[in-house]
Amino acid sequence: MVKRLMVAVLALAAAASAWAQEKFPTRPIEFIVPWGPGGGADQVARKVGSLLEADLKVSFPVLNVPGASGNTGMAKLLAGANDGHAMSIFIADTYAQIATASPRWKPGDYVPLAIMIRQPSGFFVRSDGPYKTWNDLVKAAKANPGKLKVGVTGFGTLDDMTVNYFASKGIRMASVPYAKPGERYAAVLGGHADVLYEQAGDVRAMIDGGKLKPVIFFHTDRIYDVFPDVPASKELGFDIYLPQFRSIIVRAGTDPKRVKVLADAIEKAAKDPEYYAYLKQQWALRDSFIPGKDAQKFMDGELAAMKKVAALLPKK
Amino acid sequence: MLETLTHLAGGFADVLQPVNLLVLAIGLVLGLLVAVLPGLTLVMGVVLALPFTYRMELTPAIILLTAMYVSGTYGGAFTSILFRIPGEPIDVPLLWDGYAMARAGAPAKALGWTLFGALGGGLVAALVLVLLSEPVARLALTFSAPEFLAIILFGLTSVVSLGGGSVTNALISLFIGLLIATVGTDETYGAERFAFGVRMLSDGIEYLLVMVGAYGLGEVFTRLEQGFRTQTAGAGKGAPIRTELPRLKELLATKATFIRSSLIGILVGIIPGAGATIASFVSYGAEGQYGRRRKELGSGIPEGILAPQTAATASVGGALIPLLTMGIPGSGATAIILAAFLLKGVQPGPQVFVSSGDTVYAIFASLFVAVLGMCLLGYFAIKLLVRVLAFPEAVVSAFVVMFCFVGAFAARNNLTDLYVITAFGVIGYLFERFRFPIAPMVLGSILGPLAENAFMTTMISHDNDWTVLFTRPVAGVVMALAIVALAYPALRRWRTR
Repeated sequence: MVKRLMVAVLALAAAASAWAQEKFPTRPIEFIVPWGPGGGADQVARKVGSLLEADLKVSFPVLNVPGASGNTGMAKLLAGANDGHAMSIFIADTYAQIATASPRWKPGDYVPLAIMIRQPSGFFVRSDGPYKTWNDLVKAAKANPGKLKVGVTGFGTLDDMTVNYFASKGIRMASVPYAKPGERYAAVLGGHADVLYEQAGDVRAMIDGGKLKPVIFFHTDRIYDVFPDVPASKELGFDIYLPQFRSIIVRAGTDPKRVKVLADAIEKAAKDPEYYAYLKQQWALRDSFIPGKDAQKFMDGELAAMKKVAALLPKK
Repeated sequence: MLETLTHLAGGFADVLQPVNLLVLAIGLVLGLLVAVLPGLTLVMGVVLALPFTYRMELTPAIILLTAMYVSGTYGGAFTSILFRIPGEPIDVPLLWDGYAMARAGAPAKALGWTLFGALGGGLVAALVLVLLSEPVARLALTFSAPEFLAIILFGLTSVVSLGGGSVTNALISLFIGLLIATVGTDETYGAERFAFGVRMLSDGIEYLLVMVGAYGLGEVFTRLEQGFRTQTAGAGKGAPIRTELPRLKELLATKATFIRSSLIGILVGIIPGAGATIASFVSYGAEGQYGRRRKELGSGIPEGILAPQTAATASVGGALIPLLTMGIPGSGATAIILAAFLLKGVQPGPQVFVSSGDTVYAIFASLFVAVLGMCLLGYFAIKLLVRVLAFPEAVVSAFVVMFCFVGAFAARNNLTDLYVITAFGVIGYLFERFRFPIAPMVLGSILGPLAENAFMTTMISHDNDWTVLFTRPVAGVVMALAIVALAYPALRRWRTR
């Protein structure tokens, strides 16, 4: 009797949970942004969140949890339940820590839902400055090794890794960290730093306004539609890319059915003309979006590249 | 010039449309509320308002956020002056003269001075924004890390200009604040400091927690000890508390302070990374050095209220200049306004005057309307707010505690932050109990991380040569001012001996 009752209860519970799955999502899904409001990661989340809201009919409140290069936000995601009611933005700068530091999380702790945006980085100089082209920079760096200053986000970041890569090729420049983007841009515009490492979309106002110009992009091909005259690193013989990417992840162990609901909705959102317009405005790669099933493979490839460049970093 | 005025007239026509005017009013009220609540900072408030702009047109979206930003620099004056609880870090300097004046029986007058400061500073900055944004933006670019560091150091010296108190105690308190600011992971090299392997400490201690804990909770603890029997400012003397505007003669007597503070506010505002908080502290420090009545500063004089409030509100116009002309946010709140622009597919910068000129001039016009509206609102809001003074203190204190906790939690969504503010509440209470100044500690924890970052950047970009602080003209002048500010009390003592 007891046994039969238990079976009945279990069946009921199973049915209930199946019903619950069908209804997923029924309540708001927390969208963690491990960076401050207003930045690139925040914008992607708000853009995608507003598209998802219209589709899945629940709200996606953005929760900014900045700190420690994204580790604080990651800790927040991993400390929560893995029921699909929390997802997070996860960007290349945070991912790079596996190559350069020893973060408290590992790739198996999360499942990528999609890569949302990919932007090649580049070096920029001010338009009325002494350096106009990549060759000018190389000449100046070789004449006075270590004297050219590159405005970067911080030491050990993708920015700094790129500067170190060129140092290993005999083009020695010095990384100068500026914590806030505004300070970094102003430093280059005001001539306090010579070079800026950035993604073109983030400084679009200054490029459109004729204040900054790119001299090299760290990419396999030229960005022909916007900057046909700016060389790509590959054609110059430099095997350095490290593009910025921003992905969306959930905690590992989330019910695959729920992962699929979210991943499908995100894929739909990425095809929305509004999202495409956003990518265009950001000068991101037009084929930025990588669906969940291929995202892990892409990230593995990026990690291998990061590890290779990180090996060139000076040991602490 | 004439063209600018024509565009501006068009901007006013835009702002006075019902939708925009409604949004502006909502923004002003929200900004005041956010500023009044301890813990919930104005930057947090603007972040919380951002999702509501998703479905708006560009112009009303930006007007909403700008209006919040403007009134956010003003609302905290109420709680600071009436209850000695700073709603925002920018209001800390208001505690010195503002609260002192309120204690001396003139809370209405103190509030009147903040009203005038916000009004004047806001309008002057809006004018500069409209007429001089291009040259002023170029000026901002000549500032780099060494200048930034010098300005912060000057801001730190404002503690010694607090008349009456012991300079030694102020410095001890300041260094405790700076020490608190070093706890956690260093931003440049990622080294952990004073963390002792505790996760909570390795994330660092936010200045917000120090401020809300030491002032908000500390004040409640102090009142608790007194059995909630203290009289709130002015209430006991039966003085009617309403906004009392300063007389014209009094205003004219403070014109030097007003001009100095407006300029400091605008200038600090345009420097990327520095906002209303630094403007407020630096302006108070400058008043302590160069004000006509510098010796009386801290005892409740109008200049001490006018200086920080004028600079704080003026910094809004200043911070919008690099945002609109170059796409570089000059402060925390303008970074969010930038995001609102980008989410609408518009990139602020030189070409925005052409591509979205209407919006830009509507923003300019909205700044004028917002400053006027905010002061009107402040004039009437005070009557309502003052009723709170009539409630039993225990009830008011309970709400203060609630808002402190809500605000502290909202900042990082981190539960451990609540333990931290409680700890600082106890520290604040002990400081108060043993007549030790709290303000320098709070100041140190606010400006410490900024100073450290500027210092590291200066050292790295100048091959560890600290003399650049003195050899670069602007940095050198500001450093000289800071050193004079530090040495002055010692010199004065030596002279009187």
